[in-house]
Amino acid sequence: MKRRDISFLTMQSIIAILLFVFCSTGTDRAQAADYSFGDGTGKNDACLECHKNQTKVSGLNYIDPKKFGHTTHAKFGCTTCHDTITSTHPGTKSAANTTSCGDCHSEIITQYSTSVHAKNTACSGCHNPHRVNTASEIAATDMNKQCAACHQNIKIVASHAKWLPQTELHLGAIACVSCHSKAENYVITIYIAKRDGADSESKPELIAYEDLQKKVGGDDIQYLIDANRDNYISLDELRNFNRDPDNKSIYLKAIMTPVKPTHSFQTFDNRWDCTFCHASGPKIMQTSFVSFPNQNGTFRKVAVEKGATMDALRAIPNFYLMGSTRNGTLNGIGLLIIVGGMVMPVGHGFLRFLSRKNRNKGEQS
Amino acid sequence: MSAKMVYLQPIPVRIWHWLNALGIITLCVSGAQIRFPEYVSVLGSYRTAITLHNTAGIVVALSFSIWFFYYKIVANNLTEIYIPKGSDLTTGLFRQAIFYFFAYFFGAPNPHHATPENKFNPLQKSAYLAIMFVLMPMVSLTGILLMNVGPMREIVLMIGGLKILVVMHFLVACSLTAFIFTHVYLATLGEKPMSYITPMWTGWEKVEDHHGAVPTHNDSVEHSFSPKVPGCVSLKQTERISV
Repeated sequence: MKRRDISFLTMQSIIAILLFVFCSTGTDRAQAADYSFGDGTGKNDACLECHKNQTKVSGLNYIDPKKFGHTTHAKFGCTTCHDTITSTHPGTKSAANTTSCGDCHSEIITQYSTSVHAKNTACSGCHNPHRVNTASEIAATDMNKQCAACHQNIKIVASHAKWLPQTELHLGAIACVSCHSKAENYVITIYIAKRDGADSESKPELIAYEDLQKKVGGDDIQYLIDANRDNYISLDELRNFNRDPDNKSIYLKAIMTPVKPTHSFQTFDNRWDCTFCHASGPKIMQTSFVSFPNQNGTFRKVAVEKGATMDALRAIPNFYLMGSTRNGTLNGIGLLIIVGGMVMPVGHGFLRFLSRKNRNKGEQS
Repeated sequence: MSAKMVYLQPIPVRIWHWLNALGIITLCVSGAQIRFPEYVSVLGSYRTAITLHNTAGIVVALSFSIWFFYYKIVANNLTEIYIPKGSDLTTGLFRQAIFYFFAYFFGAPNPHHATPENKFNPLQKSAYLAIMFVLMPMVSLTGILLMNVGPMREIVLMIGGLKILVVMHFLVACSLTAFIFTHVYLATLGEKPMSYITPMWTGWEKVEDHHGAVPTHNDSVEHSFSPKVPGCVSLKQTERISV
């Protein structure tokens, strides 16, 4: 391309930008005239008047009032973070804050700054502060989707397949942060997933709140499993859920999640060793929860009776962690069978030894 | 009564047998490490145990398929050899059990003499029927499913879930392990402890000629793999080792 053409293009761009700035400033001025905030009880309402309206704002400036209302951030109010906002907003400043996430979340920032991610993205790269949820409110699959926003699933499967047997199975049964953060304690979280052969194992599709609502006929979906409505799920209730022919189109998908996810994202050396999980012993696998979806897109956990993962057959029939969730009774039965095979050699061999003279005589005769 | 050298175990049978033996022992040891990694670590890392288990599993499953294909399609005598006859069930089982658990201790001869048409005694037939037609297919199929849980998820769910599959695989594997002890012990019940074991390695067995119990060269039962050695008789694949 000739130099003259480049100058011409540059000029065109500058003119376009100037026109855009002129027009948008005009619109902002028009809006600012009837704008006020921080007036009265619902201190976010004034901001949301515009920011909940997708015809007025777009992109990250749009705030879903339901999702924002659920966050802890909403309780502090918009101006806690957007502290430099003035009454002339939006005419004057668009990014109206001098605060940062670290002002409140200093511990997380310290953890995060040591990880390789810190060089690549800031907090907002993964978290939208206007719709952020606590770790227990997110499904493990959504946690993994967060990672998948940058790390393409196909590449993740390929890189893990170089060393990890049953790659897809592992990726579908473990939250990424279980291995790639310094979390130390784990629980088994059970989700209700769609039984659809089309989904790959590494991307299990959880059943939506609306579909479960239809299934329970408008009742609380928790009672789909928690039949006696005591806010606690027993092994019997899990077994009944699995045996119920009405539930053939869905199944319980268990995923290993850290009790407290950390932001120290890196691959720790001990995670390369399979026995980190597979010989973790039965103790770590005793705690489990069923995570039910809420109407607002979050999840809530209901505690499950201890030992659900160890139950031989029916509690979580599709979760088995080799080496760690083996069932004690089955081990006993297996041992009995093997010992049974030794009865013949030992018993018969003993009599054979005692009768050796008899047999010699018999053979000679 | 004279002793003759009989070509009892043709090369394919011996290869098949020892490949299976190696495979099954590898499966038992690696399986034990996979299930009890805190206590068993003879094969090194957990990943090595899994790789070995998967490889040995595929080898044994293929070997089983070849066995089935050979007897069903090539030799076409699977039913005659492995399915107990009416007389086996009414009197044969009883007679053979009496021999093993009573008469044997008094030096009585084995009531069953292997012939190409009737290779196994009634107890052997029953045991092999269970092992080759129930346990081996079950352990192989559950193993194949466990190796491919992702792609075969729908089949796993139809069976009742991963855990049911693991339970089946584990209990059947324990039963096969139990069989190994009995199998090896019974292999020592020949005239001398190594009488049945040596032929499985060399192919040749010293057989007492019980007035025609052992077919001769003229009986046209020579195995296609048997070497032409003058003065020696040959048997079609005859497994006298085991139950």
